[in-house]
Order: sequence, then C-alpha cells, then structure tokens
Amino acid sequence: MDAVRARYPEHFTRWSRQRLSMIGIAAALFVLLLFGMGELGFFDGTLLTGFGRLFEIAGLMLPPDPGSWAHARAYGMALIETVAIALLGTVAAGVLALPVGLLAARNVTAQRIVRFLARRSLDTIRSVDILIWALIWINVVGLGPFAGALAIMTSDIGSFGKLFSEAIEAADRKPVEGIASTGGSHLMGIRFGILPEVFPVLASQVLYYFESNTRSATIIGIVGAGGIGLHLAEAIRTLELQQTSFIILMILVTVAAIDVVSSQLRFAMIGRRAGIGK
Amino acid sequence: MLRLEGVTKSFGGKHAVDGVSLVVPAGQMVGVIGRSGAGKSTLLRMINRLGDPTSGRILFGDTDVTALRGRPLRAWRARCAMIFQQFNLAGRLDVLTNVMMGRAFHLPATRALFKMWSDEEKAQALSALESLDMARMAGQRAETLSGGQQQRVAIARALIQQPDIVLADEPIASLDPRNTKVVMDALQHINRHLGITVICNLHSLDLARGCCDRLVGMAGGRVVFDDVPAALTEATARELYGLEAGDVMGHGAPPPVPLPAGAQPGFALAGS
Repeated sequence: MDAVRARYPEHFTRWSRQRLSMIGIAAALFVLLLFGMGELGFFDGTLLTGFGRLFEIAGLMLPPDPGSWAHARAYGMALIETVAIALLGTVAAGVLALPVGLLAARNVTAQRIVRFLARRSLDTIRSVDILIWALIWINVVGLGPFAGALAIMTSDIGSFGKLFSEAIEAADRKPVEGIASTGGSHLMGIRFGILPEVFPVLASQVLYYFESNTRSATIIGIVGAGGIGLHLAEAIRTLELQQTSFIILMILVTVAAIDVVSSQLRFAMIGRRAGIGK
Repeated sequence: MLRLEGVTKSFGGKHAVDGVSLVVPAGQMVGVIGRSGAGKSTLLRMINRLGDPTSGRILFGDTDVTALRGRPLRAWRARCAMIFQQFNLAGRLDVLTNVMMGRAFHLPATRALFKMWSDEEKAQALSALESLDMARMAGQRAETLSGGQQQRVAIARALIQQPDIVLADEPIASLDPRNTKVVMDALQHINRHLGITVICNLHSLDLARGCCDRLVGMAGGRVVFDDVPAALTEATARELYGLEAGDVMGHGAPPPVPLPAGAQPGFALAGS
C-alpha cells in the first residue's frame, strides 16, 4: 500500500487545497446569509409574533365565501377575462416569436449580424419583467385587459424567441440536407425540413406558457391590467379574507384544469400517432 | 459527361480528398469503393455541391459546376440527385410530401410552401412510388417506415427529379440483406432502363463487383484503382481495404499473422 501511496500521493492527502477552499467558501456564504437575515429584521422577534398572525389570517379565511351571488358572478367573469388575457397574449407571442426565433437560429440564419441583433433584442425584451411591461402598456393603451394581453405578449416574445431558436437549432440537419440536395431553396428547407420536426416542441412550449401565464395574468391584474387580480388585491386590502380564499381557490381550480387539458394536448401532439396521416 | 479535375478537399490541413481526376461518361454505373474514411462521401457530396472543393474543378458537359452560385447551383442539384445512407427524409411528413421534395426546384415557392400540389405532380410522385412498390404507403409518415422502405421513398424522390446523374452515398449501409437487394436492384434499374448515370459509394466490394460497370478505388483521399470490376485483383483489394479486406470480400477473416517463434499471445499482460 505504501508503494501505491508513494506513486499517487495526490489521492492520499486528507486536506487537499480544493477541499479546504470549498469549506472556506461554504462558511463565508453562511456568514453572509446570517448577516443578511439580521439586516432584514429576521431576528427582532417580529417573525415569531408574525407567525401567530399568519395562523390567525388563515383561520379568518375559512370557510371560503364570495359574500354574495353578485360577487361570485363578478369573480367568475373576471376569471374568464384572466384566462382570455393569458390565451390571447400567449398565442400572439407565439406567432410573433416564430420569425424572430428563426432569425436567431444558427441553422436558419447564416448572417451573423442578423442573428446577433435578433438575439440581443430578445435579451432586451426578456430583461424587463412582465409587471413592468404591464405598467408600460397601461400608460399606452389605458387600464384594462387589452394592456394585460399586450404585457403578456411582449414579455413572452422574449422567452419564446429564445426557446424557439434553441429548439430550431437542435433540429436534425439531415432532412434539410435532403431537400437542399434536390435543388430546393433555403426557404423550402426550413418549411419542410425544420418546421415539421420542431412544430410539436414549439406548440408544447406555447401550451405550457399559456398555463403559466394564467397565473401571471392574476398578478398583472393587481396593477390594473384587467382580470381577477384586481378583485384579489381589493379583497386582501379590505381584509375580506373569506372572499380572498374563495378567489384563490377559483384560480387554483382554473390553473389545474388548464394544466390537465394542456398536458393532454401536448402528449397528443408529441405522441407518435403511428399509422395513417391526414 | 462528368469530369473531375484535380478535385481536393481539405479539413484543417488534412486532405480528405486529394487531387481526384475522373471522367464519367453518361449512362455509366460507377462504384466508388474503399475503406471508411477514404474520402468517398466527401467526393460525392462535392459533386452535388453539398460540400465545396478546396481546389480543382468539376465539370458537367461545358458547365463548371464548382463555379455555380444561387439559382444555377440549385438547378444543378436538381439534375444531380443524391441518395443518402440515412435517407434524409423529413420523418414527420408523409411519404408523398417527401417525394414531392424531388420537385422542389421546379415548384413555384408560394404554391409549394402551402403544399398545393397539382394533380399531375401527385400522379408523377405516386407512379415513382409505385415503381418501387411503395404507393400504398403514400399517406403514412416517413418515420413510421422501416429503413428499407424509407430508402425506397428517397429513391422515388430522386426519380421525380428526372436527374441526369444519381449519386448514392452508402445507400445500403443501414439496411438488412433483403432491402439491400431491393435498393441495389432499383439503382441498377435506374441505370440500365432509364439511362441515368449512377455513382454509388459502396463499402461492400462483392456488391460493387456485381452491380457496377466500373470501379473506382479510393484510399487516403486518392484514386488508387480505376477499371472494370474484373480487373480488380485480390492483391489490389487487400491494398485498398487493409485489415478490413476480409469483411468486405465475404470470405472469412484474413489469415492470422504468424507469431514470432516463442511468443505466447496473452502472456505478456499477466506479467506486468
């Protein structure tokens, strides 16, 4: 054993420099965490009293109750509006992001400068949060669901553009080459070589975003861009906690329903429906 | 007539194809043979211009193929069909659409992008499929077919290009023996009955001997043999294929290299 140890000493040191530095970094991060928590008031006792209050609030939320039939109706309508905002915004973003995604994909756009510009503009769009877009669009088109749909659309163009271009770049090169070999144009190669293959991937991304945007649409409603968010914010502000929990439950059920439907649709699209085509 | 003049292709200082000059008269069936990495694929891809030569010229009649750009280049590709080892079909599209891509150069873009084929075009594609016994699969997605069926779809696509030349890059390397025969018969039919020049990369020497009028042997990017199949001696074949010779000629492994006296194989490892 000593002979082997002599030949490979680097595997036998108990406290290697790498290990020591790892421990050092972990300790430093822990100290930083404690310091930050202290600065933010985690240790002044408010947390303990706050915890009690949290249970109190939770108790006041039960049972969920809209208060009146008129309220329930208004919430229902607002929820439908929220879903509509999410759907319109997501679909519009998907349609608009496809050309940008193509421009940003290496196997579609040969010109580096075009690709660079497409990618940087997508980055720019993505670096602004959906809530900020909602505030911007409210200034442009006024309060209401239209601003909400526009906010979701702009914010998602950034995400879709990036996701789409990555999916397109991951597409198999062989079908495109097959079409190029027959004298087909670049456009034909994209249309018949790339798009059929990536379409299910893109569609499933859009569906997933629709589901996630239904949740976002409630948030942007709070700043006045239409939908259920406004009712939710108001119920919390006026301490109508039973109504609050009712609205949260409604949102929960809707998101769950959309999740079920969209995952079924996604599997139907990606799934190998072997056999006869159209 | 296809003429290659000193065609060279280098990747990072290494010559994949090194100064190849060939003349292929119209209507010939040429088998390009050699071991893997000999430059066969690179050569074929340059003829179709999927790859560009580093130097040298490729001429078809009076046209300098290597100088073509844009639309004339696509016109050349349309006349010079290519069949790939991996079929290169769009798996999620149906067979008929895949075959229709053979007309990609001639179809007006606006109509083609919406898959609006005329009845005449459909009939053309279906009869090409019929000649390969594949017409009843026309509505099926290409990815649901077996390898042999996909290669027949790819041949149908090449056929409706109405090409002057068909290039086949290891067309049977991914197929079982039965489909190998179907595909090679189809290529021979294209050559004998339609008078189309066929240049086919083949790994298997026996197959190449049986099907082709002429064999071009490549090694290390150079042409080292160019004659009728009967002129290929066993010695030349060994030189072409080296250690792989036994596999490609179909009679067993090459004779074992005699060991120097006293050496015991397998023993050296145990001692160290």
